[in-house]
Amino acid sequence: MNQTLHTRRRFLRSSVLGGALSWTVPAFLERTFFALDALAASSPIQTLTGKDGPILVILQLAGGNDGLNTLVPYENDAYFRARPTLAIAKSKVLPLSGGFGLHPELVGLKSLHDDGHLAVLQGVGYPNPNRSHFRSTEIWQTASDSENIERHGWLGRYFDSCCEGSDPAVGISIGSPQAPQAFDAEKRRGISFANPSQFRFDVRKSSDPDAAEEFFRSINEMDHEMQGESIGMLDGPTNADGETLNFLQRTALDASISSEKVLETIAKTKPKVAYPSGKLADSLNLVARLIAGGMPTRVYYVSQGGYDTHSNQEGTHARLMEELGAALSAFTADLKEQGNFDRVLTMTFSEFGRRVSENASRGTDHGAAAPMFILGGKIQPGFHGQAPSLETLYKGDLIHTVDFRNIYATILEKWLKVPVEPVLKSQFPTLGFV
Amino acid sequence: MFASIPPSEWTLQAAAHLLNRAGFGGTPGEIQNLHALGQSRAIDFLLGADEESDLFPAPDLELIAPKIRKIRSSYLELDKKEELLATARREERNNGLALRYWWLRRMRETPNPAREKAALFWHGHWATSIRKVKNPLFMYRQNETLRAYAFGRFAPLAKEITRDPAMIRYLDLDSSSAKKPNENFAREVLELFTLGEGNYSETDISEAARAFAGYRINKETGAFRFEPRQADCGTKTVLGTLGMHNGDEVIDIIVAKPQCAEFLATKIWSFYAETTPSKAFQKALGEEYVRTGMEAGKFLRVLFLSREFYAPNVVRHQIKSPVQWLVQMCKILEIPLPPDNVTLPIMMNLGQNLFDPPNVKGWNGARAWINSSTLLLRYNTAGKLIRGGGGTLPDIDKIIPSGLSPEQSAEALAWRLFQSPMSDQLHDQTCNFIAANGTSAAARRDLLHLLMATPEFQLI
Repeated sequence: MNQTLHTRRRFLRSSVLGGALSWTVPAFLERTFFALDALAASSPIQTLTGKDGPILVILQLAGGNDGLNTLVPYENDAYFRARPTLAIAKSKVLPLSGGFGLHPELVGLKSLHDDGHLAVLQGVGYPNPNRSHFRSTEIWQTASDSENIERHGWLGRYFDSCCEGSDPAVGISIGSPQAPQAFDAEKRRGISFANPSQFRFDVRKSSDPDAAEEFFRSINEMDHEMQGESIGMLDGPTNADGETLNFLQRTALDASISSEKVLETIAKTKPKVAYPSGKLADSLNLVARLIAGGMPTRVYYVSQGGYDTHSNQEGTHARLMEELGAALSAFTADLKEQGNFDRVLTMTFSEFGRRVSENASRGTDHGAAAPMFILGGKIQPGFHGQAPSLETLYKGDLIHTVDFRNIYATILEKWLKVPVEPVLKSQFPTLGFV
Repeated sequence: MFASIPPSEWTLQAAAHLLNRAGFGGTPGEIQNLHALGQSRAIDFLLGADEESDLFPAPDLELIAPKIRKIRSSYLELDKKEELLATARREERNNGLALRYWWLRRMRETPNPAREKAALFWHGHWATSIRKVKNPLFMYRQNETLRAYAFGRFAPLAKEITRDPAMIRYLDLDSSSAKKPNENFAREVLELFTLGEGNYSETDISEAARAFAGYRINKETGAFRFEPRQADCGTKTVLGTLGMHNGDEVIDIIVAKPQCAEFLATKIWSFYAETTPSKAFQKALGEEYVRTGMEAGKFLRVLFLSREFYAPNVVRHQIKSPVQWLVQMCKILEIPLPPDNVTLPIMMNLGQNLFDPPNVKGWNGARAWINSSTLLLRYNTAGKLIRGGGGTLPDIDKIIPSGLSPEQSAEALAWRLFQSPMSDQLHDQTCNFIAANGTSAAARRDLLHLLMATPEFQLI
């Protein structure tokens, strides 16, 4: 019995990692199989083997990053007037061009800029900005108007409309078992985990882990699946639970297979460069290893928290900037070593920037528009869009010059090469950063 | 339309279905007791239990907002002020967590689960989030309102909610005045809380918004307060009715529309039965709701008696919500709710933070509860609780008595975990597992875990 088990496990490993064919299809759902067949013939369905195809990495700066102290308008008097204690002196800024420079701790990002890998999008926001973390994050995640509530996330709609039939790991979010709202979807929600070691069915506390795993495997029909038995030979569910039970069985299968694949991939890949310490660097390190391991994942999602700097902002923000720059710099070096840098586009965003004027606690309050960074080997570097005025404000906030959905549209159409409208539900003009 | 099932169909499985859906399930013994009452008395037992609030003490919450205001306006040094504010905010956050745990524990412990389940329905309906409201005491008071009216008539509940400080804060009603009526609240009332999209016009929203102007919160006590100077006493036309309506009259106008009854009755049906009813069935539900005076308890009684509620496409077709899954698991394992530091992170990661629905539409529910991460977390958490990680080691001899044959064990497990027979495949695998691994306590725990780590266990 144990012999069989181990043979099966070896077989499973080799077949899971060897081919993308069997594991994309929950074969016991015959009609799904046919549905996939039909769908594959029609565009814009994408299939990806993991060795090619563009990859998108989303980096969320959670809490509302202070855009003005990230991309500093160091020649603008209004900036220094609004920030008597928090303004960063010209002498300390890492200058880029046009009177804008990076926070002194963003050394890593500066060198990426100098290498031509950084695009800067200025004044990004949306009409009728909302100053609630929760609501504004929701707006960014679902790409909705400020007034409307959208049920699914923008990446979820991309998975649903453009990735039909593809891998359950089409999107991977690292850092929390709770999926970002951007992944919310009708059908394909991607996978998320805080830590890959928790993203597995855990039988370590069982008295006989092998027996437990064997049982679990047989319940989830993974062995049938992996051994490629013909569909006709499999029993359907013998009770009357029908659709709902099928959905659960399919999700369970997705979970088992993706967790196995993620763990295997991470076990067999090593980072090619040294990463700094910290949660963001750990997450990006995992992303790089999953990319190196040939995961068929289209979108990775990581986040860095702590940006809600209402008081004594200076030290906190500097630490965050340092962590961000260093993590992105190591990630880029790793991808270059792998030869995958040209396949990866990384986008940063935050739910809002902060108020132009600092508050009485040496901090800044919730604001509106802010810059975004795009990183990659195949992007158009430099500044895109127009910097917002520091003097014409709305309720003390910067007025956006670019709607964030123009950036999403650009990434969808020019990078992921899919039609914009099914995802964003309306057409948005694209920009020149790709 | 709503014919009752004959006594011959009031089986143990029907009783289990009723207990699962009306409440949070129970042990085989509890199901047997409910079954023994007969269907009608079983329903009365669930819907008619006495208020037991004195048995379940209220959480100890104080109003922190006035404290924060006082610190803000004090003449302390900046650093000292920041420190006091941080402490007050931390206290408020902890109160929010305590409140969340309090309700979950109440659901687990209550002798009156149907009332808590109905309150959970209304919480998803009148979705209000502590993230915006901030104030845990407001959230608690709203929770008590939902509990008090859980089986009551709709119009009085709706009127209470328009005066509910948590809701007022959540939808910015307290900034609404005759000069600048805020339409946020009126819009959600019409769209999400009463009529549903397509049954009103934009004019109805702005006219209704005028009637709710002047609703305020007393900053010191946190109670509702009406501010006549901000109110709009002019004539308004709402849904074709002209008059100098105040807020309560607007609610009466809305509730009198048949679309309101249909919208709500359908939502109640979907929560308890989780099927998508046909247009004709929705209409029938609405008419029945009207016939029962739009009184939730009376309406639920009709549903729980009806053939439709026990149909094969209803029974064991609902995906447990995270709350249902956790509370029912504790009941099945006969253990108390795990401590807050175990329970609350699990609920957050499973996507159902009480008092914090994702938005004013409430939780999407059904399949949205399940993805690969939440499913694995359910599987692993079950293993943790079975092995005592929830603070109490379940008594395995109660769940699978030793000395049973593999067949008998499989049957006992099927009944306790799924309240229905297992599929042949699962049954065979269970018997094989017992044959191969024996019946030591550890092996029985392993088996229990494996059967709870199944798609089948996610269903009621």
